[in-house]
Amino acid sequence: MSRSLKQVAVLLVALLCLDPHSRVSSAPICTHGPSGCHVPSLADLFDRVIQHSARMHSVSNDLHSEFEQYFLPSKNHIGKIYRKCHTSNILTPNGKENAQKLAREELTEVILKLLMAWRDPLFQLHQSMADQQDFNSFSSNKALEMGDMAHELRKGVEKVAEKMRVLGMLGNSVTGLSAAEAMLPLSESGEAMSDYELLYCFRRDSNKVQNYLKILKCRIVPEHDC
Amino acid sequence: MRNSGAVLILSFIAKLISQAAGVSAPGKPRLTSCRSPEKETFTCWWEPGDDGGLPTTYGLYYHLENSETIYECPDYRTAGDNSCFFNKNDTSLWVNYNITVVATNALGRDISDPVEVDVAYIVQPNTPENVTAVVVDEDQGPFVRVSWEKPRTADTRSGWITLQYQLRVKQKKDKEWEEYDAGMQKYYNVFSLHPDKEFMVQVRCKPDHGFWSEWTQTTYVKMPDYIPRERSLWIMITIFSVFIVLILTWTLNVKRNSVKLCLLPPVPGPKIKGFDKQLLKSGKSEEVFNSLVIQGFPPTIDYDDLLVEYLEVYDNEEQELVLDSKDLSEDCMKSKSPSDCDSGRGSCDSRTLLLEKCMVGREGSRSDQHQYSQHGETSWASTESSECQGLEPGSPEFSDGRVKTWPVVFSSPQPHHHYQVEAVKPVYHSVPEILNHSSPHAMPANYQNLQHQDIPQQEGRFGKPACRHSQSYTHGLDTPAPGVSPSRSLEYVEVQRINPENMLLLRPLSDQNREPEGSDYAGEDYSKVKEVTSNNILLLQRDTSYLCADGYSQAGQCTTQQPPHPCKPVIYQSHSGMPQEGMRVMGNGYVDTTVLMPSY
Repeated sequence: MSRSLKQVAVLLVALLCLDPHSRVSSAPICTHGPSGCHVPSLADLFDRVIQHSARMHSVSNDLHSEFEQYFLPSKNHIGKIYRKCHTSNILTPNGKENAQKLAREELTEVILKLLMAWRDPLFQLHQSMADQQDFNSFSSNKALEMGDMAHELRKGVEKVAEKMRVLGMLGNSVTGLSAAEAMLPLSESGEAMSDYELLYCFRRDSNKVQNYLKILKCRIVPEHDC
Repeated sequence: MRNSGAVLILSFIAKLISQAAGVSAPGKPRLTSCRSPEKETFTCWWEPGDDGGLPTTYGLYYHLENSETIYECPDYRTAGDNSCFFNKNDTSLWVNYNITVVATNALGRDISDPVEVDVAYIVQPNTPENVTAVVVDEDQGPFVRVSWEKPRTADTRSGWITLQYQLRVKQKKDKEWEEYDAGMQKYYNVFSLHPDKEFMVQVRCKPDHGFWSEWTQTTYVKMPDYIPRERSLWIMITIFSVFIVLILTWTLNVKRNSVKLCLLPPVPGPKIKGFDKQLLKSGKSEEVFNSLVIQGFPPTIDYDDLLVEYLEVYDNEEQELVLDSKDLSEDCMKSKSPSDCDSGRGSCDSRTLLLEKCMVGREGSRSDQHQYSQHGETSWASTESSECQGLEPGSPEFSDGRVKTWPVVFSSPQPHHHYQVEAVKPVYHSVPEILNHSSPHAMPANYQNLQHQDIPQQEGRFGKPACRHSQSYTHGLDTPAPGVSPSRSLEYVEVQRINPENMLLLRPLSDQNREPEGSDYAGEDYSKVKEVTSNNILLLQRDTSYLCADGYSQAGQCTTQQPPHPCKPVIYQSHSGMPQEGMRVMGNGYVDTTVLMPSY
């Protein structure tokens, strides 16, 4: 009797496991507004995103200075060839007025573009740093962390954009980024950028992202921090 | 060839000349710093090199990254000397500026090293503004609230710059500043400042990626005088003292034995000679206490001494009352006057219980104050009333001469006063207390020249007229009136009965109201005990000759006879059974009464 029971139990478990439809997945409980649980407001979302971008920027800053300290003794060494960052194609406002002139949607788009553009190069950077034995594991981990952060930040900004769209703040002119726009960081000469150049470029871009996000936030939800 | 050579020579000569003149090409200038106060404009400063003694001009040139176009500084003036100010139009963020400074004079020019600048990373804001420090008074104590405003140029409103603030506080005399981070808020509460002191406050700010601004001008604030309630300190003190108390208690507990020894030293054991503690422990108390027994204790009394000494009162012919107190006392005290006190002629009547007369009569009369001493310790039976008291011869009221035989009836010593010899005669007196109830007043009244009244007791009157005594006092017991007739010398008193209050009621023998029992009393005299029969009967011996010779005014029955009337007061007829073994016949025929006490 017990043996048959065991078999039945095993069968049931197998069915449950195998059945794809019975797989448990997380679903938001409170999808219908604030009555059920606490839904973060747009301001909260913005705050989270901004914090995240700040953290990302500080990591990139650390990496860059570390790189500069150990591998490039003089900052203004002669013969340094600055290649254009691969993201220089993306038009980004380089001043306050320029940034304020941009519409929300455009600004949001710029942010997303930037973040999107860095997805693969960061992965590449981590790879090359891990391969090189000059970097200690701590640095390569930072690179990896940086990549993850960029990824999460992008996701977050997408969520913010979604929220804004839902709230009617954003028009529908924001176009979704297609995979085609993800560019590979190739310089004009076709050579891959070095790690240092990548770091340098990423540091700048993360600063841009952070700044743009702040402007966006203070424009959309001007509260205590602005 | 020649031209180049000529040029060289000429330049060389020019140099020599210029060096001799002290002028030269300018030295290399150096860019010191470039700063942007609000991330919208920036300024660069350079340091001129040696100018070579000639007026030198400086020019700043820059080009953007990835561009070869060189631009010159748009504004040399706004920021002061040796500076270049880039306005908003000329400022691009997130773009590297490659800047150089060129120094030019008549003799030459020099170029500084290039500097790469990204404006986004050279932000150093202006100092915060309007720093105010206010003392706020609250329950926990006053504190200082420092508030300020952002630098005017920084645009935090649009989110272009985010600033975080820092303030520092110190007293004037302090060396070190105390720094506090205020974050992005524009106020801060400073607690725990010392009362009644003046403090200096400064504030500065920094963008999220940039340089700290300069400190503001010092703002002074004075703390009011208050008493800080350092609760935490008291709590610490309390805990510490409790801890110490606990430690002390524990230490005492651990060392309680030695403490006990110190405070309560042990009582030393007994050190009695011959006393063995071990024997005590073993439980044989007999042996232990045997050692304590002293031979010869208690001292046995020579019973001879305990015989009653009778003091005889003699009525002299003149019936004078003179008493020599001294003699009296002597005799009485000693109670040994051979013939008088121990003669057996004492007033011991067979019937009478009373014994003592301490009365010595003498012919000469002297008035002396005398005080009786009373002996309370006389035992019942013992006629230690042989310890007579001295009379007070001179006191007219003397009549109270006290004699005591019975301790029971004995009273406190009474002062005796002088008495006049004529008036008062010494009398055998019975126990004073007995007579308490009788008329004390009779005394003084009876006698002439009596002075004092406080004769508490009367005397029994006794005496036999026939007896010749030197002095005799007579009192009337039953007659308050001067029942004391001076003629009467001696009168015996017999005890009538003992009332419940331990008082002996006396009655004079010559009283007609006497009970018939005492009828044959008067005629009896003292008798010696011959022997004691088996059934507790005393056989008395009569020595009539002896007795009569003393002149006792007795009936003169000098006949032998049988029994008895107990001679001694204590010796009762065998109504009360006398212990046979208790009787002892002394040598002189008297019965030792001490032994005859019925053992209770």
